Amino acid sequence: MKMKHFAVALGLLAVTLPNANADRLVIKGSDTLGAKLVPQLAEQFKAQHPGTTFDIAAEGSTTGIAAIIDGTAEIGMSSRRAKSSEVGAAAAKGKHMKPTIVAFDGIAVIVNSANPIKSLTKKQVEQIFAGDVTDWSAVGGSGGKISVYTRNTSSGTYSDFKELAMKKRDYAPGSQKMAGNEQIAAEVGKNPNGVGYVGMAYTKAGGVKPMPIDGAVPSTKSVQAHTYPYWRPTFYYTNGDPSGLAKEFVDFTVGPGGQRIVAQVGFVPIK
Amino acid sequence: MKKLTLAAAALCVALGGTVAQAQEAGALLDLLVKKRLITDQEAEEIRGELVKEAASTSAGKWKLSAPITELELYGDARLRYEYRGGRLPSSFQFGQNNENDWYERHRQRYRLRVGLRGTLADDWFFGLRLETSASSRSTNVTFGGESSGGPFAKGDDGIFVGQAYFGYTGFPDFKFTGGRMPQPLITTSMLWDDDINPEGLAEQWKHTFTFNIGGGGGEAVQSYSKGGYSKEGKGVVAAPAAEPFKLKLDVFVNTAQYVYDDENPENPIGPNPTVPEGNGSQTGQKIPTTDAFMLAWQAGARLTFPNNVYVQLAPTLYNYTGNGDTFNIHYVGDPNTNQTGINSLLVFDLPAEIGWKIGDLPPMRIFGEFADNIEGHDRAQAAGHPDHTGQHYAWMIGGAIGQLKAKHDWELRAWYQYSGQFALDPNLVDSDIYDSRVNEKGIAVKAGYMVADAISFNLTWAYAWRVNGSLGTGGQNGDIPINPLDQYQIFQADCSVKW
Repeated sequence: MKMKHFAVALGLLAVTLPNANADRLVIKGSDTLGAKLVPQLAEQFKAQHPGTTFDIAAEGSTTGIAAIIDGTAEIGMSSRRAKSSEVGAAAAKGKHMKPTIVAFDGIAVIVNSANPIKSLTKKQVEQIFAGDVTDWSAVGGSGGKISVYTRNTSSGTYSDFKELAMKKRDYAPGSQKMAGNEQIAAEVGKNPNGVGYVGMAYTKAGGVKPMPIDGAVPSTKSVQAHTYPYWRPTFYYTNGDPSGLAKEFVDFTVGPGGQRIVAQVGFVPIK
Repeated sequence: MKKLTLAAAALCVALGGTVAQAQEAGALLDLLVKKRLITDQEAEEIRGELVKEAASTSAGKWKLSAPITELELYGDARLRYEYRGGRLPSSFQFGQNNENDWYERHRQRYRLRVGLRGTLADDWFFGLRLETSASSRSTNVTFGGESSGGPFAKGDDGIFVGQAYFGYTGFPDFKFTGGRMPQPLITTSMLWDDDINPEGLAEQWKHTFTFNIGGGGGEAVQSYSKGGYSKEGKGVVAAPAAEPFKLKLDVFVNTAQYVYDDENPENPIGPNPTVPEGNGSQTGQKIPTTDAFMLAWQAGARLTFPNNVYVQLAPTLYNYTGNGDTFNIHYVGDPNTNQTGINSLLVFDLPAEIGWKIGDLPPMRIFGEFADNIEGHDRAQAAGHPDHTGQHYAWMIGGAIGQLKAKHDWELRAWYQYSGQFALDPNLVDSDIYDSRVNEKGIAVKAGYMVADAISFNLTWAYAWRVNGSLGTGGQNGDIPINPLDQYQIFQADCSVKW
């Protein structure tokens, strides 16, 4: 009788705890990673591990890090590093925010194909996007009022670009905010005086060309070598070293199979 | 490779401890990755450890909003013993009895000022300072000064906002400030009590030229620019240039628009108010209902020669518009009449200073100031004293040796000061020298010594006599509630801690 009660209790415990189901992986966080990359990785992983299920919620990097702190996910996706306040909050709860780089991301500055300008410096990029420079003639172009396109304020890339390229300054007052990479590429492609930034996968869109920055062309090689200035790592966060299914999925992501998918969806593999 | 990683980690942890140091270590990690001594993943793990370490420190627990690029906590505390006495005239005057009697006070006082100031992204800056005492011309609190509440009551130990301002330095050479701010003008206590933090707007421009004697023209080397918030509230005198030079010229222009007194309401229900009974010929006159503004216009220069010899002139013009609801009756200055009116004030002021340092001797300087109320004649006539229109000058001259900057520094300063009854705005003059009054002349001596970088002792003594024995001494009756203040004496012994 006692054995029977023990078995029931174990069963209840297995249903209650999120970690208890060994074949189910809860992943929360970045929409940059969670929109395409991680679902495709999950599909491939499931094909190799039949019976595994994924619960993926892509609602922003902050939610991924919070999920690790709160213990509501095994993996937190993030397109930024955890802030010191988040690391402190995790430590206060006995958690250790362990980062694993899963891919690099390069942010390319694009202009219209008809724009005669051939390259920009980091200073010029800051001046253009902050509104210090408003005419192409001031940066070696043939003249014309610059139209600046940025992501909207809810995008992580919006704040990342401010940090990477603009010394955290505000965007030019007249800048136009777009919902995604496709929209920015489309607008710059239509506007001879347009300038914007997109993920590297979108530099091949029609009517646009990426700008070398201080002589560095945005490419897989330059991002991996960190010679291109506007690159960023993207992460999985776990509570300490991952274990079990989470470890298998992390290993798969950073392994050859996972990195092939990373390249396919437009990110830069880590090696 | 593992050893290298551990070495890098150890180095970074040694650097670590604060968020700033963690960031410095981050730059080092980036370099190690670029040199391929460690991988991105290894660097990221070390970075994570550093952030965790930093987050567990006291500094790491402070959270500053992202736009703050620099923040400074500063302040001072002071203990003071003070004797202050004022004597009535030697003969019956203005209805005052008790000839030659002294009104005297001995007080033990303290003051506390705590501030935060810093810079924000995109060339903005800000400041906030909390102070004891609600008075504009004093931050002192008198121990045991409460009239109720028993011993050690806290009735007068309040905290007030002394400064609250922000500004912009994005244009080369310019600085714009708005709010309740540190005094942006070059001035002295003869005109402005240095406890006053004026409210309004200020615009400052400063440009520095260096000249090589015998060739070439001027070259701009310094100006207000990024990060340029005033640490001493006198943000016009440049720090020494980093490069050697033979002659340096700082040219500056400071303008200010201070809200002197707010009229409330500008348009009252019913007829406008009139001057109440007891104000002589002004009684019954319609009182204007406009805000009062004080406008200041200063343009000057500081010329610095080799060997720390300098000359500085800062000519300034002050004028007033409107009356507010407190200053709408003509100034008289005699007892039982108006003591604070700001009518007929157009004050030209010329503070000047010459300084030098010879060999190992302490630095020395001679300073002075001359002020003339250009409308002093009108002010005297409006006060009912057309026979004393000559009382429109104020001046001071003095000298100092030494400085108070670091441990074991000392300074001795002495000056003579003269203020005519109709020369200055009595609402702004120093409350110590001489008790917020005009129509006073006298001497003052200050001596200071720094026992540590943050601790100083100061002694101040001053004595004053009435300039014109037939006039009152104006100003708000503050610490010595007698008028005329025929003679006045003050002694202060201070111990200050500054951080």
